Amino acid sequence: MTDLIKLRGVQKYYGDYHALRDINLTIRAGEFFSLLGPSGCGKTTLLRVIAGFEGVSNGSVMISDKDMKDVPPNQRPTNMVFQSYAIFPHLTVAENVAFGLRKSKMSKAEKADAVAEALKMVGLDGYGKRAAHALSGGQRQRVALARALILKPKVLLLDEPLSALDKKMREHMQVELIRLQRAVGITFILVTHDQEEALVMSDRIAVMFAGEIGQMDDPETLYRRPKSRRVAEFIGKMNFLPATVTSVGESIGLDIAGFGQTDVPQDQAPEGAKPGEAAIGIRPETLAILFEGETASRHEAPATVDEVVYYGDMTYYDVRVKDVPEPLTIAMKNLIGRPVLEVGAQTRIAWDERAIVVF
Amino acid sequence: MIFVRKSLSIADMGKLSNLTGDQIRGIKLLGLPFTYALLLLALPLGAIVLFSFWTQDFMTVDTTFTTRNYQEIWNSPIYGLLLRRSLMVSGIVTLVTVLLAYPVAYFISFHVKPSKKSLWLFLITIPFWTSYLIRVFLWKVILGYNGVINSGLLELGVITEPLTFILYNVNAVIITLAHAFAPFAILPIFVVLEKIDRSLLEASQDLGESKFSTFLRVTLPLSMPGVVGAVLIVFIPTIGDYVTPELMGGAGGKLIANMIQTQFLQLNNAPLGAALAIVAMVCVTAISLFFVFLNRKYLASRS
Repeated sequence: MTDLIKLRGVQKYYGDYHALRDINLTIRAGEFFSLLGPSGCGKTTLLRVIAGFEGVSNGSVMISDKDMKDVPPNQRPTNMVFQSYAIFPHLTVAENVAFGLRKSKMSKAEKADAVAEALKMVGLDGYGKRAAHALSGGQRQRVALARALILKPKVLLLDEPLSALDKKMREHMQVELIRLQRAVGITFILVTHDQEEALVMSDRIAVMFAGEIGQMDDPETLYRRPKSRRVAEFIGKMNFLPATVTSVGESIGLDIAGFGQTDVPQDQAPEGAKPGEAAIGIRPETLAILFEGETASRHEAPATVDEVVYYGDMTYYDVRVKDVPEPLTIAMKNLIGRPVLEVGAQTRIAWDERAIVVF
Repeated sequence: MIFVRKSLSIADMGKLSNLTGDQIRGIKLLGLPFTYALLLLALPLGAIVLFSFWTQDFMTVDTTFTTRNYQEIWNSPIYGLLLRRSLMVSGIVTLVTVLLAYPVAYFISFHVKPSKKSLWLFLITIPFWTSYLIRVFLWKVILGYNGVINSGLLELGVITEPLTFILYNVNAVIITLAHAFAPFAILPIFVVLEKIDRSLLEASQDLGESKFSTFLRVTLPLSMPGVVGAVLIVFIPTIGDYVTPELMGGAGGKLIANMIQTQFLQLNNAPLGAALAIVAMVCVTAISLFFVFLNRKYLASRS
C-alpha cells in the first residue's frame, strides 16, 4: 500500500489553547483508519485539518505528495460525512446526492445514473424524490455517505458518523461501512470516541489524548499490548496491580502483588524497562474464576467475590485477592452448567503471565 | 367558541350545561383572546366594510346599501393613479430596504462574535429611541433645499445649485421609509440566518463549492423565509403610511393613504374613504398572498 496522507509536525493553537501537539501520521491508500480519543482530545480538529476547514499553526499536511497548505476544502481530494450529516433541508435526496456534481462534465442522464447508483450502494434505492427533511437518522447518514462517495474522493472523512444512531442501528451501520469501504476501496478516516467501534471497524487506530497521539497500531496490538496506562484504560477494561521488576534481560522478572513471582517476555514490557517499582495490567477476560473441579493451567490464587454484575451472556465479577489493593474485575462467559457465584463466595482465580502487560 | 364546536358532537350541541372539565377549561382559555380579537380586529374591520357600502349625504350618512363608492373609485382616474403610485413606492421601498438589510443581517450573523450580537441588534434599534415624526423631520433637515446634503455639496463645489430632486417628491418618501423600516427587515433575515446549521456551509464547500457559490446554493435559499417575512413586514405597513408622504412627498408624492385621510378628515366623506381603504387592503392582501405562496416551498422544507 502506498502512503496517501502524511502529517508532519502538525501543531494547532486556538489562542493559548494547544489543540494539536506535534502530530506525525502516515495513512496508507485504501486503509480504514480511526482517530480514537475522549472528547476534547483534538481528534475532530485533526480531521478538520485534513479536510481543510482548519489551517495548521505549524507543520505540513500532504495528500498524494501534494502540500495542502493553501488548498481550500473545495479543492481537496477529500469528502466528509459530518456528525450532524449536514443534509441540505431545501433539497430532495437526489438533489443532495447530486450536489457536488455541478461542475462535473457528465450529462444530465449520466448524473441521474450516478445518483441512482450511489443511492443503491447505500441501500436507498428509489428514495431520490423524497424530501431530505422527511428522512430518519439512519437514512440521513446514508444520504451523506452517498453524497460524498459519488465524487469518488481519495479520502472519506467520517466525523463521529454513528454517534447519533441507536445501538442496533449503530451496529448495523458499522458492518455496512466496513462492507462499503471494501467495495469502493477508498481510504476512510473515522473519528470516534467509541473504542469498540474503532476496534470493530479499523485497520489501524491512532489513540489521541490532549492533542497528542498516545499510540498508533492495529486493533489487536492496541488491545493486547497497550503501550501506556492511559491507552489501556481507554480501550476496554484493564486491571492494574502494583509490581516490582526484579530482573531485566531476555525476559523480565516480575514480583506482582498478590500473584507472586513470574517471568514475561521482553515484548510485554516497555522498551528500556529498568528494575524497580512498576505496574502490570491484565484484561478481565484473561483472568478466570475456577469453578469446582477446574484447575489452572498456569497459576492460581485464592479470592473472595466482592461484586457480581450479570449481563446475560457474561457475568462480571469483582474479586478480592490477598495483598492486591484494588478488587480485580473478571469477565466470565455464562456457559451451560456454569453457576453464577454469590457475593462473598470463596473461590480461586486463574491467571496467565502471557496476558500481562508491564507499564 | 371554535373549540366547543369542534369537540362537541351534534347530539351534545343542545345541552351546553353538560360540558366536561376539559371543555370548560378550553372555553376559559380561548374566551379572553377571542373577545380581544373580536373587539380589536374583526369589529373595526367590519365597521369599515359596512361604511364602504354606505354613502355620505351632506352631514348625515345614508345607510342604504350601494356600491356607488366603488364605482366612483373605478371611474375616477385619480384613485387608480394614487393606488398605483402607492404600490410602486412601497415596492421600491421594500426592494431597497430588503437589499440593504440582507448584508447587514448577514454580517451580524456570520461575522460578529456571538457575544457581541445582541449589542449590534441593540444598536440597530437606536433610531427608534426617538419618535417617527422627529425622524421624518430630521430627513427634511438632511434632504432640504438648504439641508445638510445640499450645503455640504455646495461647500465642496460638487454642485453649483441645490439639488431639488431629493425633497418634496417620491424620492424623498422612498429614502425616509427605507430608513424607517430597515430594522424590521434586518431582524427577520437575521433570525433565519442564525438558524442555518453552519455545517451545511462546510458541507457545501467540502462538496466542491466556493464560498460565493455556497452562498447562492445554500445560504440564500435557506434564508428565503426570512427575506419573504421581511418583504411582508416592510411592504404592508408602507402602503398605509401617510405621515411620510404628507411631510416629504410634496404635491407629486402623495399616496393612497393621504387620500383616505383626506376623505375622512377634510372632505368628511367617510364612506368613500372606507371604500378606498378596502380597495387598498385587497391589493395588499393579493400581493401578500402571492409572497406567502412563494414562501411555501421553503417553509415546507423547514418543518
